[in-house]
Amino acid sequence: MKKKGVFHKIFQFKNSMVYPAIFIIVLVIMAPLLYSFYVSLHKYILQFGMGKWVYLKNYINAFRSEMFLLSMMNTFVLTFSVVTLEFLIALGLALMLNHEGLKAKHIYTIILMIPVMMPPIAVGLIWRLLLQPDLGIVNYVLNVFGIKSLGWYGDPKLAMMTVILVDVWHETSLIMIIILAGLTSLDKTPYEAARVDGASRLQTFIYITLPMLLPVITIAVLIRMIAAIKTYDLIYILTRGGPGFKTETMSYFVYKMAFRKMSMGDASAQSFILLLIILVFSLILLKVIAGKET
Amino acid sequence: MINYRFKKKLRLFIIHAILIIACLIVVLPLLWILRTSLAHRVLAYQIPPRWFFKPTLDNYAVIFKEEPFGLFFANSLIVAIASTLLCLVIGAPAAFSYSRFRTGGNTLMLGMLATQMLPAITLVIPFFLIYKTIGLYNTRIGLLITYITFNIPFIVWIMISFFQTIPRELDDSAMVDGCNRFTAFLRVILPISLPGMLSAGVFSFVLSWNEFLFALILTGKKSKTLPVAVSGLITQQGTQIGAVCAAIVLIILPMVILYFGLRTFLIRGLVAGAVKE
Repeated sequence: MKKKGVFHKIFQFKNSMVYPAIFIIVLVIMAPLLYSFYVSLHKYILQFGMGKWVYLKNYINAFRSEMFLLSMMNTFVLTFSVVTLEFLIALGLALMLNHEGLKAKHIYTIILMIPVMMPPIAVGLIWRLLLQPDLGIVNYVLNVFGIKSLGWYGDPKLAMMTVILVDVWHETSLIMIIILAGLTSLDKTPYEAARVDGASRLQTFIYITLPMLLPVITIAVLIRMIAAIKTYDLIYILTRGGPGFKTETMSYFVYKMAFRKMSMGDASAQSFILLLIILVFSLILLKVIAGKET
Repeated sequence: MINYRFKKKLRLFIIHAILIIACLIVVLPLLWILRTSLAHRVLAYQIPPRWFFKPTLDNYAVIFKEEPFGLFFANSLIVAIASTLLCLVIGAPAAFSYSRFRTGGNTLMLGMLATQMLPAITLVIPFFLIYKTIGLYNTRIGLLITYITFNIPFIVWIMISFFQTIPRELDDSAMVDGCNRFTAFLRVILPISLPGMLSAGVFSFVLSWNEFLFALILTGKKSKTLPVAVSGLITQQGTQIGAVCAAIVLIILPMVILYFGLRTFLIRGLVAGAVKE
């Protein structure tokens, strides 16, 4: 029989259902990206219009920029802290919620899931009010217990930690939901076998639960890591990158470069570097987890 | 024997204690904001705080009168609903096509995944430059288009998982009954996958409602959405804490309503990609 080629396949009706989606994606994602890349190869200060062609100078200058590298460091610190903390806490919470004999499980789950759909802006704003050094309720409560007021997001030493804590408050629920869903769908039989074999709780956890959860954990950590590298909203509303540049993440740095310094060429280049970093880290993470599976 | 039972009860007690503390950590800040939103201007600032006072809706009146929060609310609502519906209409057939026939194969899947990795700022810059030129700056339509960028891949991704749980025999029996592929999709599969569409839709709506960077850069006075408006309240000195809290409550309110009303669908949407059936 004559083999039907790709050309024929394209015109089959069943395949054409993807065309609107592909067309939209190309139009709305690819085109702007290509244009942005084009811009990144020029010097372009907004008020003066597109300047001259500078090859890869914007990219090279980015790596020479101390501030840019600092924002990279901040981003890494934030991402690593946030993902680790949220994962551990979420794992703990999910395990507790999954514990048998917990009748109130539903109520706890419902309440603990609330932060998930709150806008980062609202979360940042709420904590900005609560952690205000003089007017915020948190310092007041601390004082009641005899603890000195803290500077929180205004204190250079505490600012990053404050951002991390607020993010943990916000995003832990998401990881918890994913892990919990994974936990509840686990096969029960290995557990029975383990009980018969006399395994302790810790052993059951390490050798049965964790390995079976690995795919779910991978997805959860990957999703969270990518989002954490991109952190912008929280920084904008909580600290504006301050005090000084202590909490400036890469996204915020690029935002300043584009919309405060108006240097579009530099900003475009830097935003691509950010994208590249995300891709690289995602690949690394996937390789590491895939390695653990074998 | 007693020792074992005691340990079991102790473990349960500790778990309850930790969970209760966690719940308090989640709920107390929100209650505080609600409380402050209902307090008189001056009262809201007071430290040490007054615990009992007569609640007032003044703050809400302020944000609707002094700032057009009604407009901002409408903007957020219109853009979120429109982008969600549009993406569902475009994305569901695409997801169906992929889940049944693997159209586009790995490239499509990887492409969808890759778009989730895009930082918003990378897209905001070109959109800003382009919109300034073609006049879509400060419009709701302009913002809507940008929301499609992150909603479509997401919806497609979620819907693929859902469609894969619908057995192919359903398509076949529909076609035996006289449908072609498309009508089979429209009349048989679609109605069944409504819960899936609802999950994807709710989650996409939430993403659009909460979106900040695109809205910050691409909107002006007329087309501002709630997140931008709310953040604007805190930049001037002497911000009214009561009013800010009222604004926060306003922006969270639809989410809370959605949450309690459609909890199952929201969670289904979240989990669809993560857990394999």
